[in-house]
Amino acid sequence: MVKPLHRKLIRDIARHKPQFIAITLTIFLGVAIFGAAFDSYTNLVASYDQTAVNYRFANLTIAGGDTETIAAFAGSDPAVESVEIRTTADVPLRVDDTKLLGRAISVPAGDQPMVNQLEIMTGSYPANGDANVVLVEDHMASHFDLAPGDSLDILIGDTWQHVTVGGVALSPEYIWPARNRQELLTTPDNFGVVFVSEELAEQITGEGPNEVAVYYAAGESDEEVSAALSAEGRELGATNIYTREEQASNNALTEDVKGLEEMAIFFPMMFLAAAGLAAYVMLSRLVHSQRPHIGTFLANGFTRRQVLVHYLGYGIVPGLIGSIPGAIVGVLLARTITRLYTGILSIPLTVVDFYPTTLIAAIVFGLVASLLAALAPALVASRVVPAEAMRGETPSGGGRRSLLERVFPPLRKVPAAWRMTFRGVGRNPRRTIYTIIGVVLSLMLVLVSWGLIDTTRHLMDRQFIEIQREDATVYFAGPTATEDVAALVDIDGISSAEPALTMPVAISANEAHYETALTVLQDDTEMHRFANVDGGWIDLPSNGVVLGQATRDLLDIKVGDTVAMTVAEGDTIRPIVAAFVDEPLGTMAYVGRAHAEALTGSALPATSALISYDEGVDAKVLRNTITDIPRVAAFEDAQVLFDLMQRFMVLFYAFVGVMLVFGGAMAFALIFNAMSVNIAERTREVATLLAVGTERRSISRYITAENMLVAAMGIPLGLIIGTLAAGAALSSFNSDLFTFKLHIQPTTYLFASLAILAVALISQIPGLRAIRRISIPQVVKERSA
Amino acid sequence: MTIKMTGVWKTFGEGHTAVHALQNIDLANPQGEFTTILGPSGSGKTTLLNLVGAIDDATEGHIEVAGVDLAGLSVDELVKYRRENVGFVFQFFNLIPTLTALENVELVADLTASNGAERAAEVLDRVGLGDRMTHFPAQLSGGEQQRVAIARALVKEPPILLCDEPTGELDFETGRMVLDLLQRVSRELSQTVLLVTHNAAIGDMADRVLKLRSGEIVEDVHNDTPIDATELTW
Ligand SMILES: Nc1ncnc2c1ncn2[C@@H]1O[C@H](COP(=O)(O)OP(=O)(O)OP(=O)(O)O)[C@@H](O)[C@H]1O
Ligand SMILES: [Mg+2]
Repeated sequence: MVKPLHRKLIRDIARHKPQFIAITLTIFLGVAIFGAAFDSYTNLVASYDQTAVNYRFANLTIAGGDTETIAAFAGSDPAVESVEIRTTADVPLRVDDTKLLGRAISVPAGDQPMVNQLEIMTGSYPANGDANVVLVEDHMASHFDLAPGDSLDILIGDTWQHVTVGGVALSPEYIWPARNRQELLTTPDNFGVVFVSEELAEQITGEGPNEVAVYYAAGESDEEVSAALSAEGRELGATNIYTREEQASNNALTEDVKGLEEMAIFFPMMFLAAAGLAAYVMLSRLVHSQRPHIGTFLANGFTRRQVLVHYLGYGIVPGLIGSIPGAIVGVLLARTITRLYTGILSIPLTVVDFYPTTLIAAIVFGLVASLLAALAPALVASRVVPAEAMRGETPSGGGRRSLLERVFPPLRKVPAAWRMTFRGVGRNPRRTIYTIIGVVLSLMLVLVSWGLIDTTRHLMDRQFIEIQREDATVYFAGPTATEDVAALVDIDGISSAEPALTMPVAISANEAHYETALTVLQDDTEMHRFANVDGGWIDLPSNGVVLGQATRDLLDIKVGDTVAMTVAEGDTIRPIVAAFVDEPLGTMAYVGRAHAEALTGSALPATSALISYDEGVDAKVLRNTITDIPRVAAFEDAQVLFDLMQRFMVLFYAFVGVMLVFGGAMAFALIFNAMSVNIAERTREVATLLAVGTERRSISRYITAENMLVAAMGIPLGLIIGTLAAGAALSSFNSDLFTFKLHIQPTTYLFASLAILAVALISQIPGLRAIRRISIPQVVKERSA
Repeated sequence: MTIKMTGVWKTFGEGHTAVHALQNIDLANPQGEFTTILGPSGSGKTTLLNLVGAIDDATEGHIEVAGVDLAGLSVDELVKYRRENVGFVFQFFNLIPTLTALENVELVADLTASNGAERAAEVLDRVGLGDRMTHFPAQLSGGEQQRVAIARALVKEPPILLCDEPTGELDFETGRMVLDLLQRVSRELSQTVLLVTHNAAIGDMADRVLKLRSGEIVEDVHNDTPIDATELTW
């Protein structure tokens, strides 16, 4: 390239400063979001992996069955490094006045276990002989403000046994404190983990160890080994087998991180696509307006390659200026995000690394997007036919009635000036199409984020208000007769109570297994509603079980099929599938009490009660009254759970919220550009109108009307494409734990459309101000331009 | 360089709407000949220059420059031909609005010389714009812009100079000055010049005067005693 060409490039960019800034900024954002999200993702995965290795996080856990034999079998596998036998029991705990359904896990006295080692935060690991000293899991300790030397009670048989807190510990199994995979959300008032001596644990269960935790030599998971051990475990009567990947806490965290990975790809792609399209539109216009210059270059002996390279420069410059700082900021931001995240979740190990590949990939993404955008216009430029390009600008498009007028003949009667507005839209299709693209992109950017927020809020309401109708759940210390549940209604403030029996279950069909929770509900339950996958609400069927829809694909089953369900005690029932339900959270199994009793051939107890409150009751008071009942282990207010869930979503809301703000800013930039260019391109036309004596005010009015008309034309298409993009963004989050279906509020569509129109209107101001300043002689003289 | 056209046609469009911008042109210009081309608007003057400058190709016929048929040149050879042999002064000056007068000329000078900026300044001086070099096109009058365009064509010292109404925007004095410059430079460098004009008086300084009408040469007059441009009056 020749030096003056560089200068031309730089001055052209300076001339179109707002557009180039907008494009550069969009690239910057896209690249920065990619760098930040992707590196955070990589860091977090590394942190989890490192944590898993350092704390020897079990690769496989096998509960139930012949523990000794299972452990021996596992130990004989050369791929297995360590096997730990332990006792795990869900047991009522009491801290001060609060009763909760906790979990006691045995750890060897004196030495850390070989699998699932603990990080002692304060206090010390229990020494030999300290049978009554326990370690409290970090989340529980901080919720109840427990420190070494404090005490709490564990229900053993019918008596509350006093134990001393010896220390506070972090466990790789409870980084996210969840009871099990189906109950990822538990309030700290309702769930807590204590690590106890084997002696104490066996007192609680009244029997020997019931769980085998296995750690592989490789440290990583190994599907073949897991499959072999699981098969043998099942053979030996194990009831609940899960791999590290399926383990509740790990599952919740990887789900969360997976979401980050999806967003790390999806959002940057969206921003880069928007930047690319905006750049394409702008450069196409630039090339079009510079056709005579390009002709001059070619006539003077510039090669087509030189022209191509020159116009690619218009993409490379914003690409470089946007992506290099973007990548750096992103990678730096990733460190902060990782630290914040691991801090919030108290992950014992934080790995913050510098990944040159992310930096390079981010820059390459930004550059590729901008180069691709510049390629088509640059090719057009290099193919200009000089003789034609230099004949001088001939007005394009003829005088034609607009489509609008043809569709609505009455429009032909409006004053000529307004007809000019309609015809302007069709007369310059290039300008119209570019503006519409701007509007569509804007709506897409806004609707994807807004759609995610709408959907999540809708799903929360659906799960916690429409599907789960109970006001609170009362957990009992052990199996309880249904009559005792019914008696709860006598308590002041409770309007109704239904017995529920929840147990872990392994569902098997077609050689596949799915482990979940089975809940036995009252036949005519009012506490849970069932949303049929085919639409509509259904009653709990009197024959067969109701399953979460994810099992349909996981087990390859359909309505009417028979499935095998193995419950904790090792008993197997074989019900038919009566229906699949669409539930946003989890994939559960439900069955009516009468049918369940028919299947098992015995009367079934309850493990909990679903209750509803009387009008205006004070939940806190009720909680105290109920937990005073000896049989009651815990009380969980649905509202508290709902609030907890909202808090769990904070990270998501924050991320998507930031995206919405960015998207909004980009939308503004896009429309602002389209509009200001629309006006700038018409300087000559405006000067001519002024020269023949048209009032500046009326010219402004026609131009505004034309621009607004075009913007409005883009809105329907933008709403459709935005909705599709939001759907695509959502589908990546779906799993058996979360079922997201796009739900965008009508008001969202309305506000988004109004916002676009408002931005379009505001964007007229600078251009119209320029019209007021137009000097007719100046424009007429600029024949060379 | 000699220019030789035989049986050249240029047709735009097809069928009913076809426009024959040039019809069966036979023309030979020896090296160093200064030719003015006259003719009403739409008679094909610009088209003729475009063909000689190889920014457009003939529909039929042959154009030979220095004995080489332009139709036989590859894309790269055509670029080289334009770069080294042709200087254009366009009817619409086509200056780059974001480059100064000097830079507009330098842009082209750099293509063939290593000291482009110096040469550009020199030529601008010769067209009387020594004090306007750092101005942008929008800051120049129409005539000044036209002189920048002429400087841009002259800076390469091309053997062939194609000027499309180079004095259209100029007052009498400046016009005569520019024509004088063109005459002297072309004599100095023995350039073959084709100069389109609506001003018949300019024919007096040319070696030859062509008249076009509807794409045909209707008059071809040789002038054995061209006068100096400084003596022109109109
Ligand atoms: N690209 C094109 N497509 C169609 N017709 C064309 C094209 N270029 C030129 N013409 C037609 O060819 C004819 C000759 O055009 P040309 O530009 O050579 O005229 P000209 O003699 O230079 O006129 P003027 O003095 O007005 O500049 C005209 O009738 C013109 O309309
Ligand atoms: Mg012409």
